[in-house]
Amino acid sequence: MKRYGMSIDLDRCNGCGACMVACAVENNIPATPENSNDRKGITWIRVYKIDNKEQFPDRRSAFVPVLCQQCGHETPCVHVCPQQAVDVDPATGIVGQMPERCLGCRYCMAACPYHARYFNWWDPKWPAGMEKALNPDVAPRMRGVVEKCNFCHGRWHAAKERAAIAGKREIDPADYVPACVEACPTGALRFGDLNDPAVEVARDAKTPESFRLLEKLGTEPKIYYRSEREWVREIANAPRPGKENVRG
Amino acid sequence: MGWIGFPHVIYKSRPQPVDFSHKIHADKAGTKCEDCHSFRDDGTYAGAPTLDKCSSCHAAAMGDSAAEKNFIDRYVTPGKEPQWVSYARQPENVFFSHATHVKLGGLKCEQCHGAVGSSATLRPVEEDRVGGYSRDVWARGTMDDCVACHRQRHQENSCLDCHK
Amino acid sequence: MTTTRRNLFQFLGGGAVGALITPAPWRLITDTAIWSENWPGIPKPARGEIRTRFTHCSLCTAGCAMRARCVGQQPVSLAGVKTHPVSRGALCPWGIAAHHLPYHPRRLRQNPWQEAAAAVSAALSGGGRMAVLDLRPGRTASWSYRRALAALPKGVYLAPQQPGFAVDLASARTVLSFGAPLLDRWGTPGNVFAARRNFRLIQAEPVETRTAALADEWLAIRPGSESALAAWLAGELPLLEAAARTGIEEGRIAALGKALSENGPALILDRDLTSSAMALNKRFKGTLVARREAPVPESWKKAAPVSDIAAVPDRSLNVLVIDESVPGEYIPWPAIEPKLAGNAVVVAFAWTREGYGRHARYTLPAALFPEALDDIPGAIDSVAATFRLSTPLVAANGPVADPVAFVTKLAGLDAGNALRERADAIHKAGRGSLITYADSKSTAVKDLKAEDFWKGLNEGGCWMEDAVRTPLPYGRGSDKSSPIAEPDASMPLEIVVAESPVGPLCSPLLSKLYRESNLRQPVSRIVLSPFDAQAAHIKDGGAAVLETGRGRFAVLAAVDPGVPPGVVQVAIPILAGRGKVVAA
Repeated sequence: MKRYGMSIDLDRCNGCGACMVACAVENNIPATPENSNDRKGITWIRVYKIDNKEQFPDRRSAFVPVLCQQCGHETPCVHVCPQQAVDVDPATGIVGQMPERCLGCRYCMAACPYHARYFNWWDPKWPAGMEKALNPDVAPRMRGVVEKCNFCHGRWHAAKERAAIAGKREIDPADYVPACVEACPTGALRFGDLNDPAVEVARDAKTPESFRLLEKLGTEPKIYYRSEREWVREIANAPRPGKENVRG
Repeated sequence: MGWIGFPHVIYKSRPQPVDFSHKIHADKAGTKCEDCHSFRDDGTYAGAPTLDKCSSCHAAAMGDSAAEKNFIDRYVTPGKEPQWVSYARQPENVFFSHATHVKLGGLKCEQCHGAVGSSATLRPVEEDRVGGYSRDVWARGTMDDCVACHRQRHQENSCLDCHK
Repeated sequence: MTTTRRNLFQFLGGGAVGALITPAPWRLITDTAIWSENWPGIPKPARGEIRTRFTHCSLCTAGCAMRARCVGQQPVSLAGVKTHPVSRGALCPWGIAAHHLPYHPRRLRQNPWQEAAAAVSAALSGGGRMAVLDLRPGRTASWSYRRALAALPKGVYLAPQQPGFAVDLASARTVLSFGAPLLDRWGTPGNVFAARRNFRLIQAEPVETRTAALADEWLAIRPGSESALAAWLAGELPLLEAAARTGIEEGRIAALGKALSENGPALILDRDLTSSAMALNKRFKGTLVARREAPVPESWKKAAPVSDIAAVPDRSLNVLVIDESVPGEYIPWPAIEPKLAGNAVVVAFAWTREGYGRHARYTLPAALFPEALDDIPGAIDSVAATFRLSTPLVAANGPVADPVAFVTKLAGLDAGNALRERADAIHKAGRGSLITYADSKSTAVKDLKAEDFWKGLNEGGCWMEDAVRTPLPYGRGSDKSSPIAEPDASMPLEIVVAESPVGPLCSPLLSKLYRESNLRQPVSRIVLSPFDAQAAHIKDGGAAVLETGRGRFAVLAAVDPGVPPGVVQVAIPILAGRGKVVAA
């Protein structure tokens, strides 16, 4: 019985966005249209910029990658979906979204306290030739359905096949690393089984500088953030981290 | 009328490009399923074999059938891959792992694919005109058949285990 | 019996009830659901055997080692190689989607090679002077240009000035950076972040960039006062004066000096690696080492020397070939244009017309990563000499023109085998090892045959010399620092560059993600303090015009109290200087 989670070190994240790009490449996010914006764009993981609300020269900023928090208790999106298009896998704790079952009512997008769900406003299109570079392990979605981070289930499938061919039922943890974690150049993102005390992520989750976003709601998210800076930890209670980065 | 005519209404028939006989290969060449339909090292399934598998024996005619000559002339010599039509093609959002079902589940090929190994010809693939599923795959249409067997064997899984 | 309407309805009704008992309507419902999920026009990813191939990213000189996950031969995703001792498995956002580049929609599709070659030959026939401007010097291709130009009667090889040193970041314990973006697009990211915990970083710059946000200490100096701080560190300015000019309290400046002297080894960096930074490194024994290059064949050494564009006499060039095929330092056109004779033929090799193509008579399409075979010179933080190839993973997606072939053909030189000759020269020198990624092994060059060495390089291996760390014979640094502009009432704001632009050489996916998340400042946006915005009557998000010495630009203005008054924050490097913002 695993409980996959992540630990994100906000003192390391430099806001480069490598996680966003790696996620989009892995999950066949379309490269068009040109007129998408922060409200219509699809970013299963999105890096926000936050600051301590001071003026120059006391301004300090930080970057917060926000993805589906994989809520473990009273998962809001699972509760509201009229189609049962999302479920919580008891074996891994992953909240899995099935866009093929979704009818596009977007109730889940309203229910998600972390705004981590995205709607396909358009059919996916890629510049001519770029469809050759699509990842075969993830199905592209049509318009009118909601999608979100599934902790790279395509990699989970590949890890399970690798284990199955060797006759094993348990995967090798080194085989299952989500794209964002693999891509992060600063080492800010870590992934692992929170139930396994030997794993770094499980230990990170228990340190005093760790916090989870909107813990007071009781959704028991599995993404733990950590920072030694007090003002960064305060975002746990904020309605939404950052102000859409419009300051540039 | 319904028995014979109705399937033509529902299903579109697509023949295979080569008249291949599993029976001849099983009897004369002694091949088993996994000799041509094999697993790769990373656990993925290779499915229908590529031309190099056939060419390794059929570089020159091994028998005297017209079908073999046709195959060598049209595919082996020019090095063209036959465009086999898959009986078991699932929609894009389905992830089926042969490794899990065969190696961990212990299923035999015949349990899902039927007695293909002893068939003398390849049936044309009859695809449902609306949904795209073929008649000849064990899960005849939706995933209900998969779910039924999974429930029977107490392998209740989460959606994303089989979907992508 | 007559059939009445009632009979008809009975038949239909009975038929409907009967049909419900048959599987037909249920099948129709499920089949329709399945049909609706397989919407036509949604591309289906290609299936096939998953293979792993290796290469090095050629988007910058870091040349990070890459593992390409391929379906058949087609790369579908890229990741780093953890066992590489420098890049350590890290890739930057540009590298991660670099396999999309061959399909970039704005890629050039016309190849006027014949016309360009004819025009160049005509211009040279009367004894004209030809120059090649190589934006990424230090490659084997650069040597080919220099050899070709030496064979021409009046050939000149031009390149942006390269530092003669490398930065040994791992050895430093205290780093003072004058605005160098150390933690965001500097050097080799994997190397920087692996060394990060070793040193204390003090970032001295006017605005809070990403590096300043993550530094151990940010000195929010006044724009243009870097020289004052540097002068105090050099012992040439009193502390009070330095504090007054920079706006930082004396205590903090004194502590900085103490840290550099006592918590060494120290390192002083700035954005352009200027002479003043070099002088400070000499004084504080900064961890700079002599830059080392991979061996070259002896016969190549009588190639044309590297000239600086400033040294070229005005109006003397009849032909200029610009190799913009790989990203490198951009020399502004106003520095180049005066060197061109009237009617000079300018041929640019680029992937788009948006760079030098705007000024060139002919723009020939260059190959994009990962279509071309090229070697990558070492990065600024590459302490050991290194040689690695960016191996072609896909066939060119469109017509491509090879700039090296173009130039060497004019000189009658055959440089088609240059990379092999270079590899053989490295092998002959017998130093260093070949690191191969598939098996994570490092084999001494002495233990390899030349053929196997070449094969290993083409499969994505990397040659590295054992780190020698030659102390630096301190000479002059570059003279790129621009003089501090006099305060000008008509241009009241200091332009500060907060980050480099994102594109255009990036996957359309990357630029879209940055736009949607607003994570990087786009070139069309400036940021002002509330004080300056109010003075110019500009609202947050309002249209504005930025007037600079280089022209006027229509921009969108954002207002941020985190920006100091008197500063306009931009993302266009060449605009540094002074400017004025007015409402549009």
